[in-house]
Amino acid sequence: MSNQAIINRYAPLFMPKTVAVVGASTKGAALPNVFIRRIRELGYDGAIYPIHPTAAEIDGLPAYRSLAATPQPIDYAFIAIAGAQIPGMLAAAEGRVRYAQVISSGFAEADDGRDLQEQLAAAARAGGMRLIGPNCLGIYSPRGKLTFTEIGPCEVGTVGVVSQSGGLGTDVVRRGQTRGIKFSGLVTVGNCADIGPSDLLEFYLADPQTKVIGLYIETARDGRRLFEMLRAAKARKPVVMLKGGRTKLGLAAAVSHTGSLAGDDRAWVALSRQTGCILVDTLDEFIDALVIFQTLTPRTGRPTQRVVLFGNGGGASVLATDHYARLTLDVAPFEPQIVAALAALKLPPGTTITNPVDCPVGTLLQDDGRITEKILDIIYGIGKPEALVMHLNMAPFVGRSKPEVLDNVVQAALRVQAHFPGQAHFVLVLRSDGEPQIEARKREFRARAIELGIPVFDEINNAGHALTALRTHERFVQSRRDA
Amino acid sequence: MNPAAIIAKARSENRTALDEVAGKQLLAAYGVSVPKSAVIDGVDDVAAAFTKLTPPLALKVMSPDILHKSDAGGVEVNLKSAADAADAIRRMMNVPALRDARIDGFLLEEMAPAGLEIVVGGVRDPDFGPLVMVGLGGIFVEVLADVAFRICPITRIDAREMLAELKGAAILDGARGRKPASQDAIIEVLLKLGGDDGLLMRHANDFKEADINPLIVSESGAVAVDARFVLS
Repeated sequence: MSNQAIINRYAPLFMPKTVAVVGASTKGAALPNVFIRRIRELGYDGAIYPIHPTAAEIDGLPAYRSLAATPQPIDYAFIAIAGAQIPGMLAAAEGRVRYAQVISSGFAEADDGRDLQEQLAAAARAGGMRLIGPNCLGIYSPRGKLTFTEIGPCEVGTVGVVSQSGGLGTDVVRRGQTRGIKFSGLVTVGNCADIGPSDLLEFYLADPQTKVIGLYIETARDGRRLFEMLRAAKARKPVVMLKGGRTKLGLAAAVSHTGSLAGDDRAWVALSRQTGCILVDTLDEFIDALVIFQTLTPRTGRPTQRVVLFGNGGGASVLATDHYARLTLDVAPFEPQIVAALAALKLPPGTTITNPVDCPVGTLLQDDGRITEKILDIIYGIGKPEALVMHLNMAPFVGRSKPEVLDNVVQAALRVQAHFPGQAHFVLVLRSDGEPQIEARKREFRARAIELGIPVFDEINNAGHALTALRTHERFVQSRRDA
Repeated sequence: MNPAAIIAKARSENRTALDEVAGKQLLAAYGVSVPKSAVIDGVDDVAAAFTKLTPPLALKVMSPDILHKSDAGGVEVNLKSAADAADAIRRMMNVPALRDARIDGFLLEEMAPAGLEIVVGGVRDPDFGPLVMVGLGGIFVEVLADVAFRICPITRIDAREMLAELKGAAILDGARGRKPASQDAIIEVLLKLGGDDGLLMRHANDFKEADINPLIVSESGAVAVDARFVLS
């Protein structure tokens, strides 16, 4: 199928002209009522059809008796009623629904729900629609002004996500928003009775709006298809994969969560190695990797390996050097020419002029922060690192420096980036102790850095994991191109 | 015999796995080197076999009842003459476990040149289909589980990366004064099993498990010294 055909096929899901909502009550308190309110708040301006057995009106909208009774055919139906009532309703849709997302639980994730899930899938086929879920939370599609979460950026971005878990999908949208991620879409797919991760992967690979893909998967019902799709894509878009149920006990948890079955971890490791998708272990690593891929352009001719750490915090830099070494990233001491050139700057005592570069606040305050430009110019010009991690511990700055110093430090780094285009990945770590005043300053400054197109992390280690993800992608593309 | 006939014969005999001779015939059909060999019924055929093979030879009992031949006393190596081999058969037939087993015959094989023991195998994953595996033999695979898997089909780069992924990869280069083992020879075997048109792809529905253990790898080549294919 051509890319255009794939995009067209999913347009009613990501940009529905008509939305049906099943399960909204006249009292306005049920989850489907909340869904109606949220998509209106986000600016959805297509038709909304509440479906209700008796009510004439719900939330000020005319209600209809069935999916077959709406004025126009339905692009997307949001369904949250008792599970046993749903198959009959879908089977009677007379081919008038394109996508039905079933939020309700009590299907294959429950011991006695497997039959009901089979009936549900059969009913969706009989009714002529594609089914998403059951046991999920909804879709967040800023381009279609659809959302199931309370918080989420309204701008359309480049990160496309599929999550088998609804709650985790919510976490990704909310935490992603704080971290500056902007989405091309996020679909929660739950038990995957019909549409699974590989279907939406196919869409995101074809979709020109999507540059980075994130998958949270508990089971690959169609693992072979997932493998073949990722293999054929040759990592042309970075794919970050968070796999749930990789241990024996984790797998048992996944069975009762989304009704997942067998799964051999060795196969998932193999999948990542031979398709270039990046397997991560935690939600933090997942979001950190999406942040770095959204912001930076992978440099596939010279994969990330030599890293310079620059910032305030001596012990923190030593520990980070250890952590990076475990990730097999090199934070190696500078060559003598760099040390000599840095020594000539006559920086205050307490400044380390080798890698990792420990610059106490006293040093960074010189020239209101502009000293950074002189230091980094030397490091970039002679050392030519593949990445520079600037880590700023916020607490010593607050109350001791003019507010613009932090900005000056980062602006200095951006000027050096501009002197040496394409040389080093520049990432920023803003470290906070959690104290409200410091947190507020960090949030404000992070937002500013994100606007400048800089990926921002909470700890040096997190930045290290994200750089490792970037390196995995860069190396894969390079190895397959050189072959 | 062609691969389909080898598998059909084993099924018609109600076997759960190919016997060693059939397994090696299958490997040979896919271009994997196996030792030159002869199947004999007993002591009377030993002399004739020795005229066709170059000693020293290995002798292995063939029985559907014996799963682990060497544990059962059904393997003898370094047999330099027909008399040695005849004595070895007589000794085997005195081992109680073998005396009571059904005996299909004996396999006399030339011995592979000295080299490093490698394990190459395949399993069928319910979600992803056939996987191909490689590991270093002996304790590396049994105790340390130092193995690398890939989903079939694999490319040459995948095969090379599988070897690089092993924790004991340095051993392939000849650690501690040993001769190196030919990585290219292992890669060829991995591709013949796990490649686009390889054995595991072609027979994805025939086998649930495959094992070449050991594959003896010298500086210049690789020989499959034992093979096991479990039918699905």
